[in-house]
Amino acid sequence: MPPPTPSIESLRAGDPQALAALFDIHADRVYRLAFGLLRERQAAEDVVQETFLSALTHLDQFQGRSSLGTWLYRVAYNASLTRLRERPSELLPPDEPEAGEVALPRSLVEWGETPEEMLLDAEGRRHLEAAISALPETLRAAFILRDVEELSTPETAESLGISEGAVKVRLHRARLMLREHLAEYFGARAAQKEGEP
Amino acid sequence: MNCEDLLRYLSDYIDNGLSEKLRADAEEHLATCRNCQVVLDTTRQTIVLYRETQREGIPVDRRSALFGQLEKALAARRSGRGLS
Repeated sequence: MPPPTPSIESLRAGDPQALAALFDIHADRVYRLAFGLLRERQAAEDVVQETFLSALTHLDQFQGRSSLGTWLYRVAYNASLTRLRERPSELLPPDEPEAGEVALPRSLVEWGETPEEMLLDAEGRRHLEAAISALPETLRAAFILRDVEELSTPETAESLGISEGAVKVRLHRARLMLREHLAEYFGARAAQKEGEP
Repeated sequence: MNCEDLLRYLSDYIDNGLSEKLRADAEEHLATCRNCQVVLDTTRQTIVLYRETQREGIPVDRRSALFGQLEKALAARRSGRGLS
């Protein structure tokens, strides 16, 4: 069982056990969000460091309206976006599509494999990486928090500083764009297997 | 419900966020539309694939070093504040 979240008072008092507990509970989650956005281990580690340092030195600004976890996500999300914007623009994914621009699904072929089978080879994993890297960062953040970290819609909205409606729209677009990207590969792979003797 | 409606409600359907009436309409459409059933199944598979592959945390060999750096940086900030 994970340790209980330390109290704000113990963190403000500089209690080393409280700091260790906070890091234990939240460091991996913060890292996954940062890595999900930046796709680089070193940069994600730097964001973890920056997030905890910034949060712990500004505890007086934490007003307790959200949980400590979502507050840390918010700091990490902003730190990741700042780093992304420092990158040359040719390395950035396209901006989020305008409202109403969800493309109709083109690939309508069953994939015919279990997720375990699909993840056995490096090629399948490369396609997963390419698909998520091509997603606009705002959609990627909503997808990671909702579908990978399994946060609720209100928690995700609080973490990203957007409305619950915007979370739903971004998540919907992210799922459809990822599905479409993967379908080109896994759909073709299934069709090829079917044709094999 | 037609295919376009189903697509619009797909995420809410997956997340059990539809009203009883809309859910029943969606299920009625899915029962007869193979294309929408494929889109639903492969969207669910997409979610599972990422949930299973994006769960890696901080590399084990880096975790304690990162925590050590954080402790040091915090101590430096606190002592700096104490001196000022």
